[in-house]
Amino acid sequence: MNSGLFGKMPHRRGLLLASWLVVGTVMLSGCLFEPREPEPPGTGIKIEYLPRSAPANVWTNLEKSLFATHAPGWEDNISQIEFRYIPDDEARDQFPPNTFVGWDRPREVTYINNFYNSNVTIIAKMTEDGYVFPPATGNEMTVEDIVYDLTVTNNIDGSSVRYRGKCDVIFRLEGNFWYIYEWRDLQGESDPDSGQLLNTMGVLRGTFGSQ
Amino acid sequence: MKPASGMILVFLAVLGLGSLEFDAAFAQDEDPTGAEAAADSLDDGMTDIERAMAAARDPDQAGHVQQATETDEPFFKSMTNVPKAGALANVRQNTFYADWVTTIKFQKNSMFKNTFKMSTEDYRKQDKSVQKKDNTFTYGLGSNLPFVMSLDGSWNWSEDRTTNTAGFANLSARDQKRAGLNAMKTNFKTGFLNNTVKMSARSMDNASINQNQRNDFKESAIDGGFQTDMAIADGVRIAGRLYGMTLSGDRLLGTKTEDSSANGDTVGLGIYYSRNIANGRVAITRSSFEKKYLDFKKNANGLIDTVGVDEDDKVVTELETNDAISYELENNFRFGRFGVETRLTRQSNDLDFAQSGVGLRQREQDVMDLAFTFAAGRDSFAVGYDYLWKWDDQRYKNATENRGKQVNKARDYEIRYFRDLFKRTKLNLRYHEGLSQDIAQAAPGQDRPNENDKDRHQTDISARLDRTWVGKFRASMVFAYQNVQDFNIRESRSSNNNIKDSYELSPGYAWTISPWLSLDQSYRVYIQYTDFSYDDLESVNREDDYNKRGNLATKVVIDPTSRLNITLRHDYNKRFSATKSDIDASGNIFYHRDLNQTINKIELILRFVAVQGVTLEASTYRTRDNRETFGERNTITENFSGEMWVGTTVRRRWFQKNPLELSAMVRKYNAFGPSITETSSDYWEADIWLKWEF
Repeated sequence: MNSGLFGKMPHRRGLLLASWLVVGTVMLSGCLFEPREPEPPGTGIKIEYLPRSAPANVWTNLEKSLFATHAPGWEDNISQIEFRYIPDDEARDQFPPNTFVGWDRPREVTYINNFYNSNVTIIAKMTEDGYVFPPATGNEMTVEDIVYDLTVTNNIDGSSVRYRGKCDVIFRLEGNFWYIYEWRDLQGESDPDSGQLLNTMGVLRGTFGSQ
Repeated sequence: MKPASGMILVFLAVLGLGSLEFDAAFAQDEDPTGAEAAADSLDDGMTDIERAMAAARDPDQAGHVQQATETDEPFFKSMTNVPKAGALANVRQNTFYADWVTTIKFQKNSMFKNTFKMSTEDYRKQDKSVQKKDNTFTYGLGSNLPFVMSLDGSWNWSEDRTTNTAGFANLSARDQKRAGLNAMKTNFKTGFLNNTVKMSARSMDNASINQNQRNDFKESAIDGGFQTDMAIADGVRIAGRLYGMTLSGDRLLGTKTEDSSANGDTVGLGIYYSRNIANGRVAITRSSFEKKYLDFKKNANGLIDTVGVDEDDKVVTELETNDAISYELENNFRFGRFGVETRLTRQSNDLDFAQSGVGLRQREQDVMDLAFTFAAGRDSFAVGYDYLWKWDDQRYKNATENRGKQVNKARDYEIRYFRDLFKRTKLNLRYHEGLSQDIAQAAPGQDRPNENDKDRHQTDISARLDRTWVGKFRASMVFAYQNVQDFNIRESRSSNNNIKDSYELSPGYAWTISPWLSLDQSYRVYIQYTDFSYDDLESVNREDDYNKRGNLATKVVIDPTSRLNITLRHDYNKRFSATKSDIDASGNIFYHRDLNQTINKIELILRFVAVQGVTLEASTYRTRDNRETFGERNTITENFSGEMWVGTTVRRRWFQKNPLELSAMVRKYNAFGPSITETSSDYWEADIWLKWEF
């Protein structure tokens, strides 16, 4: 008959107690792992993200993250629980089958870190002029037909590639904040200057997400 | 199945994949003692050809092929046709499709299967239509030959016509034909060696066009593999494997034509053991390939960049080479109530492009996973430690130095404790601490690496208590605490460094009041404090804040009759946000409230079985969102949103012989709210199909 954790002290109880002592010592001794000491912010350099109190702010934060190639700004605005990306057919067909299958938050985080670490300068405009986000309401919102535009310049060879796409995005309220839960690219849009058909960010995800 | 055959099946599956997914540089070896892995390889994820080959090899396992019991069975055993036609509709697109599957079974498990599919898709929100036609056949020769052999072929045709917002019309079309021959001999003995040999040949003819650029190729490939294994002691086997492939053909990309080729090989060696208290494996695999093909000009990031490039220079002849090696050690040790699991791996990979600006890309990854488990009476205990170290480096085309390693280092430590406190009462405790670091190393000659160094340190503590009165009442209580430290290391990124502390308390219960009535209710209180590390600096425009949320979710399920089901849900949310406004001399912190929000959502779902196989369904919800924001100007907004759908589900089957089957789900949706557009405010959702088997 079991008489509680510390009642009788048979051999196995002793082992369990010893296990707890080891683990408890580790836990009580404080942090096992220590992050590095960061450098204080430099003067004149700051990225001012908006509070994630509305989907429009979340979307704007992505633009700020792109400008600054600041990965935490992207990671903080996509769902912390469940994220999915669905590419447009054109982007999907440019990569091996299954490249985008099960594209979740870890894949998105990998993509954005690889992208930002690839020595690029990004000029981004995440909505067209005049596009108005619907007001934040409820626990989930689908915002449709967002047209984004970004130009990615490689600092090594100076080449510049423009991406422009239309997408539907589902935002969800998690805790007290809005996050992007689903990003569905619909189609590539034309370069407003040359009329050339451009790729969506699906091509960037396919390129950097699998590295 | 013999243990060794498990490994061989997996090996053959890997070979099969290898011939198609040749880029899989980190080919893995499998455990010859692991029947589980072999079972997985026979799962539904198999292609038709794999299934046919598996059926011939082991009809019992394949399931859908009858065992040949008579040696004088007829040459032709049966033919089955299954035509199917259907329609799918949702908020995005309408699809009409038709399939025709023909299966012919011959003597000795020989089988021919042909699948024809066609569909047309019309997009509701986009100016886009897609038409597809596919035909696939497989022919397995069963046990007619002393080895397994099969033929397969496919034809895929598609046309995607899309006109974008600016009126640019594009045709993306593809016409692809494939044919293949597969043969293998498994489990044949030569002395003390147990062997498997596999060979396949494949031919592909592809014609496609996109944005007026042609992309055609005609290629043939042949590949083969050999694996042998032997017992070196009781419960210990050693296995070696060799695989090679070659491909050649012609490609047309844009206006340029060139011959294409690929060559690759994989060699692997492993020792596998399963003895009394321990099992595991040690394996090493090396693989390499070389591919020559036409490709668009790519920049140092691997992105197609043909803007401003002469037409003749847009397409280049690429030569891609890859070398990969992986080491793996896995050991599972169990002694009585103790268990220790260890897994160590190292994978490295060099990928080199002759033309692309990417140049040479190098990667390496080390993983160590340790787990310790212990059970004693009503207590059980698990401790885990995971370690990851990986880096990638790159030498851009024509560069003389590497760009510098980008390192990711992650460590996780976790403790779990379970205890049956009292009768039907369980306690579950969890402690987790993890640190993930991105470390950029400066390239030789540079004094500073890239700016994206960052650390994320996370601590989680949670306790969960569950009590169950079987069939009547279930209650739970959850407490969780989380601390997350997000630190950017460089000065250009560190202004947003912050520490978040979150607390959550969630009691809940589920009560079966009577067989026709149940009540489920949960309450959740959540609060998060955000402390910005440098909010005291004038140059940093961030202030500490906190957020609170209360959530009460109620669900009532009523089953007044066996045919009627009613579900009622109510979700009540109350949210507050506030920002630090001041701190007094005693250190008391004052907050300024930014937001008050209340969200109420009520939902009703009805299901009624009208007659057997016919269910009437309806669902509706309505949400009210009251939002009050405080700032220079206080604002109050109230939004309503809602949705209603009504529908029917029908599932009918007629005739025992040559059955005719109908499945239909039709729903009509209407929705309103601030974010509801015209296309999503009124639409049909349907999944209807009719199938006949004869």
